Amino acid sequence: MSHLNMKKRSAAARLLPVVVAVVALLLAASAHAAVPGIKGSSFALSASDGYSSQPDGALIYSWGYSCAGSATVPNFQPFPPDPAFPNGGCPPMQLPGPTLIVTEGVPVTVMLTNHLPAAAGRTSIIFAGFQVSTPGCATQGVLTCEAAPGATVTYTFTPTAPGTHAYYSGTQPDLQIEMGLYGAVVVLPAAPAAGCQPVGSNPQLQGKPDYRLAISAYDNTATCYDREYLFQWGEMDPKIHRQAEEQVRAAQAVSATAPAPLNVKTEPYHPSYFVINGRSMPDDMDANYAPNYPNQPYNGNPHMHPGDMVLIRVIGQGRFQHPFHEHGNHVRILGRDGNLILAQGTTTTNAATALLAGRMEFTTDTTPGQAFDGIFYWSGKGLGWDIYGHKSGDGSTCTPNANGYDTTGSATSIYYEWCADHNHALETNPIGNVAGGGSATLPDPLIATNGPWFNGTPYLGPDAVNKSRGPTPLPPGGVALQNPPEESGIAFMWHSHNEREITTNDLFPGGMLMMMLVDPPVFVIDETL
Amino acid sequence: MRKPYQICLPILLVCLIPAVANAQAPATPPVYQGGGSFRVQCPTSTLIHPGGSGGAGNVPVNPAPDSAEAPYTGPTTRIVTKDPSGNYTYSPALTFTDNGGAIKCQQISGGDGYMTEADGNQTYMFSFGPLSGLGLIQNGQPGTLSARDFNRPYTAGPNFLNGQPNPLFDGLTAPNVLDRGANGAITDPAAIMDTGIMNGNISAPLMAFDEDDEFYLTLTNVGMIMRPDLFEQHTVHFHGYPNASSFYDGVPDASLSINIGGSFTYYYLAPDAGTYFWHCHITPPEHLQMGMVGQLYVRPRQNRAVPGTLLSQVSALQQNDLRTACFPVRDILCSTPLPVANTATHVAGAKYAYNDGDGTTRYDIDVPIQIHGFDPNFHFVGMTFNPEGFSDMKDKYFLLNGRSYPDTVGVVGYAGGPAAPATVNNTNGTTALNPDPASNAICTMSSDGFCRPSQPLPTLITLSKTGGLGGAPQKALLRIADLDVTEYQTLASNAIPMHLVGFNAKLLRDQAGNNLYVTTNSITLGGGESLDVILDSAEVPTGTYFLYTPQLDHLSNDNENFGGLMTEVVVVP
Repeated sequence: MSHLNMKKRSAAARLLPVVVAVVALLLAASAHAAVPGIKGSSFALSASDGYSSQPDGALIYSWGYSCAGSATVPNFQPFPPDPAFPNGGCPPMQLPGPTLIVTEGVPVTVMLTNHLPAAAGRTSIIFAGFQVSTPGCATQGVLTCEAAPGATVTYTFTPTAPGTHAYYSGTQPDLQIEMGLYGAVVVLPAAPAAGCQPVGSNPQLQGKPDYRLAISAYDNTATCYDREYLFQWGEMDPKIHRQAEEQVRAAQAVSATAPAPLNVKTEPYHPSYFVINGRSMPDDMDANYAPNYPNQPYNGNPHMHPGDMVLIRVIGQGRFQHPFHEHGNHVRILGRDGNLILAQGTTTTNAATALLAGRMEFTTDTTPGQAFDGIFYWSGKGLGWDIYGHKSGDGSTCTPNANGYDTTGSATSIYYEWCADHNHALETNPIGNVAGGGSATLPDPLIATNGPWFNGTPYLGPDAVNKSRGPTPLPPGGVALQNPPEESGIAFMWHSHNEREITTNDLFPGGMLMMMLVDPPVFVIDETL
Repeated sequence: MRKPYQICLPILLVCLIPAVANAQAPATPPVYQGGGSFRVQCPTSTLIHPGGSGGAGNVPVNPAPDSAEAPYTGPTTRIVTKDPSGNYTYSPALTFTDNGGAIKCQQISGGDGYMTEADGNQTYMFSFGPLSGLGLIQNGQPGTLSARDFNRPYTAGPNFLNGQPNPLFDGLTAPNVLDRGANGAITDPAAIMDTGIMNGNISAPLMAFDEDDEFYLTLTNVGMIMRPDLFEQHTVHFHGYPNASSFYDGVPDASLSINIGGSFTYYYLAPDAGTYFWHCHITPPEHLQMGMVGQLYVRPRQNRAVPGTLLSQVSALQQNDLRTACFPVRDILCSTPLPVANTATHVAGAKYAYNDGDGTTRYDIDVPIQIHGFDPNFHFVGMTFNPEGFSDMKDKYFLLNGRSYPDTVGVVGYAGGPAAPATVNNTNGTTALNPDPASNAICTMSSDGFCRPSQPLPTLITLSKTGGLGGAPQKALLRIADLDVTEYQTLASNAIPMHLVGFNAKLLRDQAGNNLYVTTNSITLGGGESLDVILDSAEVPTGTYFLYTPQLDHLSNDNENFGGLMTEVVVVP
């Protein structure tokens, strides 16, 4: 394998400007995620062509939906796009399409205008899991109403329940979805579930910014959350994209407007790019709306504080299943395709407070076209040692609440520390000012290699990292990269466990992979960066 | 040149600095065995398991955590002012909630080796091998040992697997007798190399321990002798460990990974009971495909209940410690909600998959089953110093515990070949016991001319209709994990119902306490998933049954059109 990487690198050297740009971004402040999208009840979308980029330097001819052409500026939530991002956040084509944020019970209208090359023929949108009407449909396709080149089609539906759904092309889907015509619909509950913490005064966030689109995922108390991310899986076979581009260009050379049906072979299918929200690792860990991905505005870069209930909204776009492994803890599946899964004995009268029945999974399955919502958290409970490196007599406190965590927010405590392990030493013979007498001796650092997301110690947070070092510490590799000293988080890889998919066209690492950072409570997670 | 990412290139020097903070000598003598950079840890007492009778307010539940299990009777509280060595004093005192448990240890090598496919093809692997519990591993058992047994000298022999004499050989050892030193950890650096080189297994050494245990897992990187061009690190990722620390999570990007010639002891407080698995996390599409995949399960504290106790009472006792409790309204990820009312009691010797509180996951026989796939082209290219391609990866061998049918049932010799002899001739003129006739561990002659038992785990399942506790029909718990890196895999049962009781190391139960078990005739897993299936011999007549994949192209051994992902279940009277 080292040969391959060497070879790929020398090939990549020709792409040096791209590599430098990527490195520059990675060296910049950490980029975080949230669930960016456009909110409302009426959306004007267009379908058009363009190019998406891959970290190996490839520019891939793609088709995508976009909010370009909206008569009014869309209501971007939970924060506006980077001003440097093209066209006010609505590039001519984007992959995946804009995330449509709508509200339970409020009728939704989506007008789709077909700006794809004439050779691509008609296009359309399927809104998975909704009863869709197509008033005034001029061109009925097999699955839904279709827009001929240059024409506009209108879809209306009223979401009857909260949750996350896919939308994607219903026209020649084996080609059009592969080309990038897919996106997400997030339905927010009409009324927040009882008992959830309101936006702006959520004690879990300890006064730090709140990026939630809602305060509960469903109309149920068990679905309250503190933070949320949306991940859409996809894969790309560059041969298909190349054929489409060649045939479109050939047709355009003859006539800019006359349809010329494409004949693109979509089998045998052999994808070599595996993407999260349209980007491969490491591009997925750059910011949302990063200007250097002008057609791929959404990232995949989860951060969280201990104890945050993190809602993950996941959609399997494309045609493969992806067993996705969330390192660090299990995920409780709340529902699939917007259908909350409740315990036996639930009735319509107690559904708002009923208990859950979705599985807990450390590797979450997503079948093509399907969405799920799940809750993940990390708290450090049960490690058997104090991950904050506290030491008996150091003045630190941990006052357990009913669940065993400190939520006092006092100056001497760490928010959401698991108190049962407070002051319990990890290291038998420690260096620095952490407790000794613990169970484990750490490996000799001189015969180990450290990773770019490693904070240099087993501990969490800048205070613990500083005091667990000796007088002349060598810098851990991660400091300069993804895990700066003021952050000193701990990182977990979230990735497809069909490990072939964490590569970018034979190059490792890449593909469907991101690093999830558990940041200490003192670190402010700014999802807009 | 793999570990530093492309993104590290401009700052390569930073990435290659091999150290963290602790680059100075420890203040007190080292607390590990071994020598040089091979450091093996397995203490006999710790803060969590101090052993002995303790002082006032500090009476441990388990007085001998290095060698014994203690019954589970609910949590007790201990007040601790000194660590077991007496070197450190804690003021104010520390509080521990004690549920019993013990100290368990295991050592593995990270390196390479060979295995034999069911069609006779010898396949090169990157792989883990046993450096403790060798006798147990060779006989298909978990290699996890109590601290006492781990710390015994390894006296088997007369030679290590590469023909070098074992100076500790006592002339007594049989390979499957624990007390004669066939399982003690190999901690001397020369012995580590003599044993660990080319000693890779598929599946990697089996691990099993109990809730409330501390588990010390030492990974010793002996290098890949067939690939001297690589200076690969290896790691252990304990897949599914809840609320993990990234330091012990084994992801090289987020922690340390051990270089060739060194050891890294991973330290875990046992997580909730369940079927997990483990693997190397260096370049996962490569190291997993090449064979660095192992199995691991954690037994529930319900097994340690006092006989006659109501199982629901065991669940109720666990509610008294927030670490072991489950209050679904307060913790969306708590492990096992209390069961619905029932009168099941614990029977001496009974085993359960989970702390079910109702006895519904009781079983008799553990059957760890690892599903995996090998792409022979990838392995051949990997052996011959060439770059492997990832996107063209295509598995041609489909493995249950590293074997394809018919080797899955432990037949003597290989498909179509003669029966294996009792001994094999090494190239230096010595003979070695062929493990296959005795233990069904398939022995593969490596390139150094020595035969090694690299595929120790058959999946032949034998169930007696009268062999369970009290003469009851036996039940098997299939602990199935899929480590394939390219495809989903389906395993079907043609006649015996499969009772799916656990998924991803969690009992299938809704938060209201209703069991959500599924009875089915096939299960499907993606890479990185595990589940628990119970087969009950009471539900079928005596006879031979099959577990096999209905993905018919996986029912083959490369060009042999029948084989692959299949094994047998034999139900006897």
